[in-house]
Amino acid sequence: MDDQGCPRCKTTKYRNPSLKLMVNVCGHTLCESCVEMLFVRGSGNCVQCDTPLRKSNFRVQLFEDPAIDKEVEIRKKVLKIYNKREFDFPSLREYNDYLEQVEEIVFNLTNNIDLERTRQIMEQYQRENRDVIQRNKVKLTREQEELEELLLLEQKSTEERRLELLEEEKRQLQAKRKNKQALLDELESSQLPACVLLAQHKDRATQLERQIEKQKQAVKTTIFSTGIPMGQTVSLQPVPEIREVLYHYQPLFIATHGPPVPELDQLQRLGYLNHVRAASQQDMAGGYCSGLACHRALQDAFSGLYP
Amino acid sequence: MKLNIEGLLVYFPYDYIYPEQYSYMLELKRTLDAKGHGVLEMPSGTGKTVSLLSLIVAYQRAHPLEVTKLIYCSRTVPEIEKVVEELRKLIEFYVKETGKENNLLALALSSRKNLCIHPEVSSLRFGKEVDGKCHSLTASYIRAQRHSNPSLPSCCFYEEFDAVGRQVPVSAGVYNLDDLKDYGRRKGWCPYYLARYSILNANIIVYSYHYLLDPKIADLVSKELAKKSVVVFDEAHNIDSVCIDSMSVNITRRTLDRCQLNVDTLQNTIQRIKETDAAKLKQEYRQLLEGLKEASVARETDVFLSNPVLPDEILQEAVPGSIRTAEHFIGFLKRFLEYLKARLRTHHVVQESAPQFLKDIFEKVCIDRKPMRFCAERLHSLLRTLEIADIADFSAVTLISHFATLVSTYSKGFTIIIEPFEDKTPTIANPVLHFSCMDASIAIKPVFERFQTVIITSGTLSPLDIYPRILDFRPVTMSSFTMTLARTCLCPLIVGRGNDQVAMSSKYETREDFAVIRNYGNLLLEMSAIVPDGIVAFFTSYVYMENIVASWYEQGILENVQRNKLIFIETPDAAETSMALEKYQEACENGRGAILLSVARGKVSEGIDFVHHYGRAVIMFGVPYVYTQSRILKARLEYLRDQFQIRENDFLTFDAMRHAAQCVGRAIRGKTDYGLMIFADKRYARADKRGKLPRWIQEQITDSSLNLSIDETVQLSKHFLRQMAQPFRREDQLGLSLLTLEQLQSEEMLQRITQLAHQS
Repeated sequence: MDDQGCPRCKTTKYRNPSLKLMVNVCGHTLCESCVEMLFVRGSGNCVQCDTPLRKSNFRVQLFEDPAIDKEVEIRKKVLKIYNKREFDFPSLREYNDYLEQVEEIVFNLTNNIDLERTRQIMEQYQRENRDVIQRNKVKLTREQEELEELLLLEQKSTEERRLELLEEEKRQLQAKRKNKQALLDELESSQLPACVLLAQHKDRATQLERQIEKQKQAVKTTIFSTGIPMGQTVSLQPVPEIREVLYHYQPLFIATHGPPVPELDQLQRLGYLNHVRAASQQDMAGGYCSGLACHRALQDAFSGLYP
Repeated sequence: MKLNIEGLLVYFPYDYIYPEQYSYMLELKRTLDAKGHGVLEMPSGTGKTVSLLSLIVAYQRAHPLEVTKLIYCSRTVPEIEKVVEELRKLIEFYVKETGKENNLLALALSSRKNLCIHPEVSSLRFGKEVDGKCHSLTASYIRAQRHSNPSLPSCCFYEEFDAVGRQVPVSAGVYNLDDLKDYGRRKGWCPYYLARYSILNANIIVYSYHYLLDPKIADLVSKELAKKSVVVFDEAHNIDSVCIDSMSVNITRRTLDRCQLNVDTLQNTIQRIKETDAAKLKQEYRQLLEGLKEASVARETDVFLSNPVLPDEILQEAVPGSIRTAEHFIGFLKRFLEYLKARLRTHHVVQESAPQFLKDIFEKVCIDRKPMRFCAERLHSLLRTLEIADIADFSAVTLISHFATLVSTYSKGFTIIIEPFEDKTPTIANPVLHFSCMDASIAIKPVFERFQTVIITSGTLSPLDIYPRILDFRPVTMSSFTMTLARTCLCPLIVGRGNDQVAMSSKYETREDFAVIRNYGNLLLEMSAIVPDGIVAFFTSYVYMENIVASWYEQGILENVQRNKLIFIETPDAAETSMALEKYQEACENGRGAILLSVARGKVSEGIDFVHHYGRAVIMFGVPYVYTQSRILKARLEYLRDQFQIRENDFLTFDAMRHAAQCVGRAIRGKTDYGLMIFADKRYARADKRGKLPRWIQEQITDSSLNLSIDETVQLSKHFLRQMAQPFRREDQLGLSLLTLEQLQSEEMLQRITQLAHQS
């Protein structure tokens, strides 16, 4: 960290701990004072790569590697345009392909590969998908939504816990004070001997303690068994629509390699059932009829007759 | 002897048995019958191991279909060896009694460091080096390369094992680490891979906790173990810390620098491969398109430290497109790394939850949650594709990738703390990012879910009900057994004040108090005069010990003590400590005895036994609370309170008392042993502290041994020591705390034993 420094005036963090390094879109570093000096007129060229730069585009360098600063900058810009979400795609595979494409663009832009072509692709994409980009601007990805929800939950629970603790303490304090006051009152007015009263008091005090203990152990539920928190409506996201080609039924065709088997309802007429045991009433109750067995036997017999 | 335990025939390899062993086995049998989990506490030195082994082996024989495997987990290599020796005795007894050949296969498993027989590799000093070197010889792609280029070095033991070893099962018997090595040498097979391969069909496996609890190792070694196994965690009083450690990640500036180097190397390698062998990267890319399942069909030698616990649905899914190609993934790693570096540059302490971290990282460097979740798997695949031989060098980047995966997978149970400097040295910048797990149940959950019976046992598990709560499981049996004693051979004394009636305590307010330090010194001095042989004294921390010893030196107490006994001191340095221990034992052998000053939670308090004359008295100076100002601890306490309804104080006291019990328990390692246990702090007399000691110690604390002064302590100790020094023979124990078979079967004794079990 200490060996980082301005490439122009050679000041390092070690010599000047308050040194502020700045970085612009080209990803090259300059210290704050050099920026002030070189860019008095508001614009100029980078000392190292001669890219025309604006002074207003200089920002404080966040990371040790200025290339990362540049990449993040570019990435943010690209992601503003390429903001399709997972539910915009019919399948995960296509979404992943899209992600890779985005990554490719960012990679090219940061490493100055095919700059012109990549810019063209981006512009084209932007033109083609204007309405989708506009629509998705306000939407978060599903994961981010989850995160937000978790954060909210966390905040709520810590707040609740804090309040609960406060209240609990207050209640306990009150109860104890009341108990003490009661003892004093009794000692003042009652006819019983003091030791009995003290014993009673002690009893009450232990009971109180136990009660407090019990309360602490009882846990409050804040979530329904379905996982939906109480007192909060869940955000109902529209179910992603999946469009696919409709299913067409095609009758099953079995190549039997034999003469055609007579249909099930023709068996009786053709006399195949004459020598088959008639189904009893019990059999029929279960949905059986003698034709079934006969038909199956015929299929067996006929199949594969032609070599 | 042969026992009948509720209808189960148990062979017990000794002629005598302790009553508590019998009732321990009863309880164990019930747990096995119920196919549930159990928590059992029995004092050390009463034969826990042999009871466990003989019952479970008997059960295995009687119901071979119900219980197929016993997995015995212990902590250290010497403990593992001890268990195997007990097992060997048991099996020999079986063979002698039944007259049949033994058909059980039992083996110990340890790291490559302990099992390697390759002349070059095994001579390396550190475990990591051995692993790395072994990997560079045996990884599958290295072996594939060797087909085209036979001049590459190879490990003949592994090659031999791979060629023949898999077909031939290891013959039945008991193998400890040395036996395995011998067997390996004889056959010319690699003992490590042989053991790892054979645990699948072994009946009994003995290995370390980490093979089951650390998700990275468990995934490799224990993934395929059968569900119908019995898992035993011995010496499990620290199991929650093991679980937590295995899931936590600490990242320092140095880690990040090394990681940077790793990433640069990766980038260069990718560049090179792209020029020479682009097809390889293409093939990986194609595999990743299909999802991780195919990509992770790893050969067993590709030990790239696999992913931490991942939910299954992630493994089914495909790698997100943004990190699919190698260059993009490197870019991703770079951004992540720079982000972490930027985070480590803070000047104040930051504590945040996982969702907060994820949100911040998205805003700063546009990293989504999903690619982070796949980070570990993706790196694993990349390292394999690049065919990097020496994985030891890439530990930093692997660590970072694990961190990324964990932080994006778990939104609860973890906290991120960034500390710019250590509390002790607030001027020196030494930033650390602690990603600490607060929920011990996360790491152990797969174990409880997978195996039918899990037994957690130790000498000090009190209070029993806290373990099921922090590990989040429902035990079917929970019992604590006491030692039945023919003579009261342990004497716990709680010393609360000095002779000048000043209360003794290691409380923060009175820590520096001159009177307290002097009283502690006086106590040690008095005890050194009356106790024969060794005394072990425990302090609450190294700093506290240093302070006290320094002022004892100034007050001349040390000089007086040294007239009676030699003094040895434990230090954080392991080599120094083992030297001190050795010399201490030598001094004890010589007759006059010695004093060992050591620290609770240190090496001595955890694994060293002080049998007989090595430890006649243990003095515990103060209550060994953890350092409560640590932010990690605070976060964990808060989590325990919110999630498990365990109050902070309860947990702290529980933790302090289990360590105190561990310390004082070092002195008693059996029924013929005896020792004083001196708790030198006023606070031990309170019911909430005393109640958390194990039952076998609690039972011996009477009202007359609470809040003593030093004088009274000396009186009681003298009396106790004189009594104990009388000759003690086995016959004195027989019938009371040691039983023969006939005695065990007598009606009266059985009744007493069942009572013993019911009490708990």
